[in-house]
Amino acid sequence: MKINHSQPLEYSTEHNRFSILGFWIFLGAEIMLFGTLFASYFVLVDHTGNGPVGAEIFEITPILMETIFLLTSSFTIGLAIHAMRVGKQKAMITFFIITLLLGMGFLGYEIYDFFMYVHEGATIQTSAFTAILFLTLGTHGAHVTFGLFWGSVIITQLIKHGINYETANKSFIFSLYWHFLDVVWIFIFSFVFLKGMM
Amino acid sequence: MKELFPRKQVMGFVFSLILTAVAVTVYFFDMSFEVGSTILLVTAFVQAAVQLVVFMHAGETGDKKAIYTSTFYGLIIALVTVFGSLLTLVWAYY
Repeated sequence: MKINHSQPLEYSTEHNRFSILGFWIFLGAEIMLFGTLFASYFVLVDHTGNGPVGAEIFEITPILMETIFLLTSSFTIGLAIHAMRVGKQKAMITFFIITLLLGMGFLGYEIYDFFMYVHEGATIQTSAFTAILFLTLGTHGAHVTFGLFWGSVIITQLIKHGINYETANKSFIFSLYWHFLDVVWIFIFSFVFLKGMM
Repeated sequence: MKELFPRKQVMGFVFSLILTAVAVTVYFFDMSFEVGSTILLVTAFVQAAVQLVVFMHAGETGDKKAIYTSTFYGLIIALVTVFGSLLTLVWAYY
């Protein structure tokens, strides 16, 4: 394996570089996936039938908490990658753990939100609006849930093997995924929640 | 401790918080649909760009071109899908 020491560890082999490029292409496809969900949401948002409209079920406090949790977690995973690049393994793992805890906090609030919606009579079957609302939020929430498992596995590998060109590459790709989830949330926060309550 | 908090990323985080605060004003203040939508569009896309450049290090290797090409390709398809659907299925009926 040819290791290029002029590059950060996560890019140091050809395989690593291609893994990162490949993941960016995957994220391009993810943008399109969420694009179709947003398109459906904007088309169906006023089709509320006998069910509630967005402004009746959305609550600002949990939504702000979710936003702050996810925004901060995106910052801490960025710090984890920075710690990785300066070779601080302990700090890196700490930032990784903080990131996943914040992710859990986000998910907790989102699950609470879902319970409240159903409690107020907005289930996935109530109207076209609630169906696409649950589908869009659920797709994002499922990504976060998957990320929690993925991140935990990477932490165990970091503890076991330390920072090397393989774990650095995996951690960096995970950070891309996590930042991407934050980007998607920004759009959900703006165009589903804030627009719905405007 | 200080070396663990690079200035660029801390500034990026503070900037995202400010953009979030600006976006939230559409909820707390009464404003027209046009003004509110414009604020949300600007804050959301600027914040996405901050993530892309500051946190995701999109432009730091020789693959910069390929990374931006595939990202913008995805973005363009997504925007065409969203605005095409709005145009044919919502706005056409007003």
